Amino acid sequence: MTRVWLLAAALCAAALPAAAQDAIRGAALAEARGCGGCHGPAGRSAVELVPSLAGQPAEFITLQMILLREGLRQAPPMNQLAQGLEDQQVEDLAAYYASLPAGPAEDRAARDAALYARGQALSAQMNCGVCHLPDFSGRNQIPHLAGQREDFLRHTLAQYRDSQRRGTDTNMNAVMYNVPDDAIAALAHFMAQQ
Amino acid sequence: MIRQKIIAAGLLAALACLPGLAQAQQAAPPAWAIGREGSGMAATLAPHAPRLTVTPRDQLPLAAIRLPPGFHAEIYAHGIPGARMMAEGPNGTVFVGTRTIGRVYAITRNADGTTRTRTLLQGLTQPNGIAVLNGSLYVIAINKVLRFDNIEQNLDNPGSGVDMTAAFGLPPEEHHGWKFLALGPDGRLYTNVGVPCNICDFNRDTHALLVSFKPDGSDRRIEARGVRNSVGMDHHPVTGELWATNNGRDWAGNDIPNDTLVRVRRSGEDHGFPYCVGNWADPGAPAQRNCSEFQQPAALLGPHVAALGMRFYDGTMFPEAYRNQIFIARRGSWNRERLNGYDVMVAKLDGQGNVTGIEPFLQGFRDEANNRFLGRPVDVQVMRDGSLLVAEEQYGAVYRITWRQ
Repeated sequence: MTRVWLLAAALCAAALPAAAQDAIRGAALAEARGCGGCHGPAGRSAVELVPSLAGQPAEFITLQMILLREGLRQAPPMNQLAQGLEDQQVEDLAAYYASLPAGPAEDRAARDAALYARGQALSAQMNCGVCHLPDFSGRNQIPHLAGQREDFLRHTLAQYRDSQRRGTDTNMNAVMYNVPDDAIAALAHFMAQQ
Repeated sequence: MIRQKIIAAGLLAALACLPGLAQAQQAAPPAWAIGREGSGMAATLAPHAPRLTVTPRDQLPLAAIRLPPGFHAEIYAHGIPGARMMAEGPNGTVFVGTRTIGRVYAITRNADGTTRTRTLLQGLTQPNGIAVLNGSLYVIAINKVLRFDNIEQNLDNPGSGVDMTAAFGLPPEEHHGWKFLALGPDGRLYTNVGVPCNICDFNRDTHALLVSFKPDGSDRRIEARGVRNSVGMDHHPVTGELWATNNGRDWAGNDIPNDTLVRVRRSGEDHGFPYCVGNWADPGAPAQRNCSEFQQPAALLGPHVAALGMRFYDGTMFPEAYRNQIFIARRGSWNRERLNGYDVMVAKLDGQGNVTGIEPFLQGFRDEANNRFLGRPVDVQVMRDGSLLVAEEQYGAVYRITWRQ
């Protein structure tokens, strides 16, 4: 599937704008580096605690890759894998994954109606949709949450709460301050089920 | 507004039904929950992130810069993602701190007038506070104070520095925990301790302060209380008074409150946060107080503009009218429906130190027609030759402003 996409992309490369050119280079780099081995061949992860990247905003992926490369966000083995990546390569990878259609992983569990409802209520109360947008598709440096892996979301929200992770600013740390595990589980389930 | 009040009431009611969250609310309300009610502001405002990858020189918005007659802008250094606060060493090295990308850069001048930029330090958490004292570079990151002696002789191998964190004993909170660092005429180091929230009930002896220390971290002195989050300060070249910029809080409305210019006439006085900004009593404060109890701002700098780095002009290159006036970098708003700031202003002072006006200096980064921005000035630095450096964070560049008759 990736090969077909690559071929099609390469065929019309000459006529494409800069962002698409970046995506073509990024596709080749992702293939060479084996990113899909963990993040999924179409950017939808089937591996526990590994995020789906398909459809994430390019700016979000770029910023996170820089934080990983600089050792400011600890997420082994990504810190080692990001070493030596040039800025342009990071932007190419970001453009590639941003160009893929977002969607849930194949192993997504069935919806738990009660947990979903609680997550929905919490999301409304905590204004998640203000920054992540009402459909949780994200923008700029703010990630796409809809359909993300539930285990990854649970892990990440706890990291923000416990000051083990930060974004490009400290707003998520402030948002998650003192939020208990059961509320995090509900939020993660709700977002994963979008 | 009524709808938002209902939502706020619903939130409280819902929280009461959730044992875990209700308990958390009592312990310390999260920042998002406080002070947002009734602002009437668009529901999708969010902070802007700086670009952390290198921006090529030909993509920098040099051509957009507008200055008063006689002034010229050039690119002093570029390819320095996240460039923020600046300090100049005795040999002319310009050190540049950052926040998100965790680096400190060193810019030196080549014989041909071009510059060379090194990444001096990396992997630090928001190393925004930098100053050079007696040949030593001081760097304050979140809850970390480092000193690099003889730094200009060791630019290729700065080492890990002397860790002075324990001596300074600064609070560990990350939110609004980034620092501005200034040298006082008394040889002390001056910095800020921001409030770890938007607006909340906090310890007014440990947060929302301007503080000073001896260079070894001892003898902490509170210079000003009730200063929400200052990320810029300087001392008047003649009177020695401490002046500082201060960021107003979010979600109170598009046009309230203003960022302010703080003048510290006597150490330890109270400038009003979280209760008042000037004569505006904040309805989101934990208690209502009479604003006449507090020091009044020397000037209002505009709502949500993010007034940050500021320096008195003590050079001789610019016309005499600029002497002892204050250049102020306004990084630009996020919590406002129409953009505001994204420029450098001049606060004009009379002989008694009263502010007589705030005038535009560097403009052109705010694109009014499209409500977008081309750059975010974060700090200004008066060089020994009298030129003015402007650090632009969004695309990682330092501009140099000169004046010719």
